[in-house]
Order: sequence, then C-alpha cells, then structure tokens
Amino acid sequence: MRSFADVHLGDTIGPVEHTFTTEGVRAFCTLWGQTGESRFTSEEVARREGLPGPIVPGIMSMAVLSRLLTDWADGGSLRLLDVIFRQPVPHHQPLRLVGTVTDLRPEGGQGVVEVDVFLERADGERLVTGKALLAVPLDAG
Amino acid sequence: MATQVEFNRSLLGQPLPAGTFTVSKEGILAFCRAVGETNPLYTDEEWARRQGHPTLLAPPTYPNLFIRHLGRPEVLSVPVRQRMHAGQAVEPLRPIYAGDTLSATTRLKDVYTKTGRTGTMAFIVWETTFTNQRGEEVARVRESFMARL
Repeated sequence: MRSFADVHLGDTIGPVEHTFTTEGVRAFCTLWGQTGESRFTSEEVARREGLPGPIVPGIMSMAVLSRLLTDWADGGSLRLLDVIFRQPVPHHQPLRLVGTVTDLRPEGGQGVVEVDVFLERADGERLVTGKALLAVPLDAG
Repeated sequence: MATQVEFNRSLLGQPLPAGTFTVSKEGILAFCRAVGETNPLYTDEEWARRQGHPTLLAPPTYPNLFIRHLGRPEVLSVPVRQRMHAGQAVEPLRPIYAGDTLSATTRLKDVYTKTGRTGTMAFIVWETTFTNQRGEEVARVRESFMARL
C-alpha cells in the first residue's frame, strides 16, 4: 500500500516496457466490438488510410497507462486520466510507459498525486502524453 | 485565425440518452487479459470480496469500451477528408462492478477549428456520463476528435 508520505515531487513512475502485439490488439478489438479488418488490425487498411502500418486503439493505450498508474498507487485509486494521442502507436515495437509526479496535495482526507504520464518509444519520442490524478491514503496505517 | 465551421448547433450541451450497457465478469476478465492487467481487484473475485467489495471491479478505463456503441448523431455538415481520435479523458467517480448496468448520457461539449500548415481542422468534443442501476454517476468520459476539412 503506497501512502502520501511515500510520494515526493519529481518521483518517477516506471518506466515499464510494453510491446503491443497484433494478436493482443485483435483480442482488444473483438472485445470492443470492432469486428472486421481495420486500421488497427490490417496492414492494407492502415496503409490505405495513410498510416505506416496497423496502429493501437487509443483506448488500449489508455488502459495500459492506467495499469502503470494503479500498479504504482498500490491500493490508491485513479481519479482522472486525460491523454492526447500525439502520434500513431505501432504494433510490435518496444515502448515505455512512464510518469513523473508533478504535484501533491491533501484533499478530503486523502492525498492527491498529480502525474504527467507518457507512452513513448525507446528513443524518447512521445506518442501519447497526458495528466493523471491519483488518490492515495495519507498514511499507510 | 479561427475559421468557422458549419455544424448542428442545436446539439451543443443537449443531453442525449446513448444506450445501456451491462458489465459482465467475463468482459472484465477479457479486458484484463487483452491489456495485461493483473491487479487482483479486477481479476480475482475472492480477493475483491476480501477487500470489501461485493464482486470484481472493472478497471478504471473500462467504460471506454462502450463509447463506440453510443448512438450519436453526425455533428459536422461539411465534407471531412480524415478523422482522427485526438484525445480522451476518463474520470472514474465510483467503483463499477461486474453485474452493473450502466446508462450512458452523452453531450456535445464543444466544436472549434484550428488552422495549421496542413489546412483547417475541426475539433469535436463529446462528454458522456455513465450512471449505474442505483442512479449513481460512476464515470465520465470526454473524447476529442479531429476532422481535417
């Protein structure tokens, strides 16, 4: 269980490596109700739409960023995840999930942690950027 | 310089009932498998009960799955060259549990344009509120779409 006292401005969350696979994206799309070939699952459709290859749905990128944050908060809860999709997220490329604590404040009997969060390539190019708010207990007891 | 874009202004701020969605245990588990989620609150019903919850919780971004199934009208009344998902925000307000039935209400929040090197783009912002079967708001989702004109 992470407590507010354990968190400091500038703390880094992650990085955690993540690679989206075409099989994983297909499974997600099926669950999502996106059936048939699309920019998310087909090389041909993606290229027809001017993309270099099939891409990861934005909400799938959000789900893995959420996982990074809630794993780190370890018992805390996500209050907000607000992201911008800056560039297409490719399949089969090692990516990094990373966050930085940018603000801390006690609020309503909990600690609120503000985080800048990124999904980036190995060379540091940021594909998805965002802000998150997490609520954690004020003390571990 | 801002460019005006033709759109259906009567939609702005208007709450539109947008569908009812059931949260199933199988759906939560499949979501977790697809995104590599291993937090036992979302994957182990017994664990969730031991933490004081009635059953499995849905991961915070789970309501995103329902968004593409919302019945929403077309906003722009001009031809569009390309559409992209520009951004999204999820605000979990209360736990969502397996077995919940969520009602969605969606509103057109904003339509604005930007002109850049590649031409004029319209941004369309929708906000959707999910309410459970007890009438409690459980999540808010805001989406921004970019349309190249």
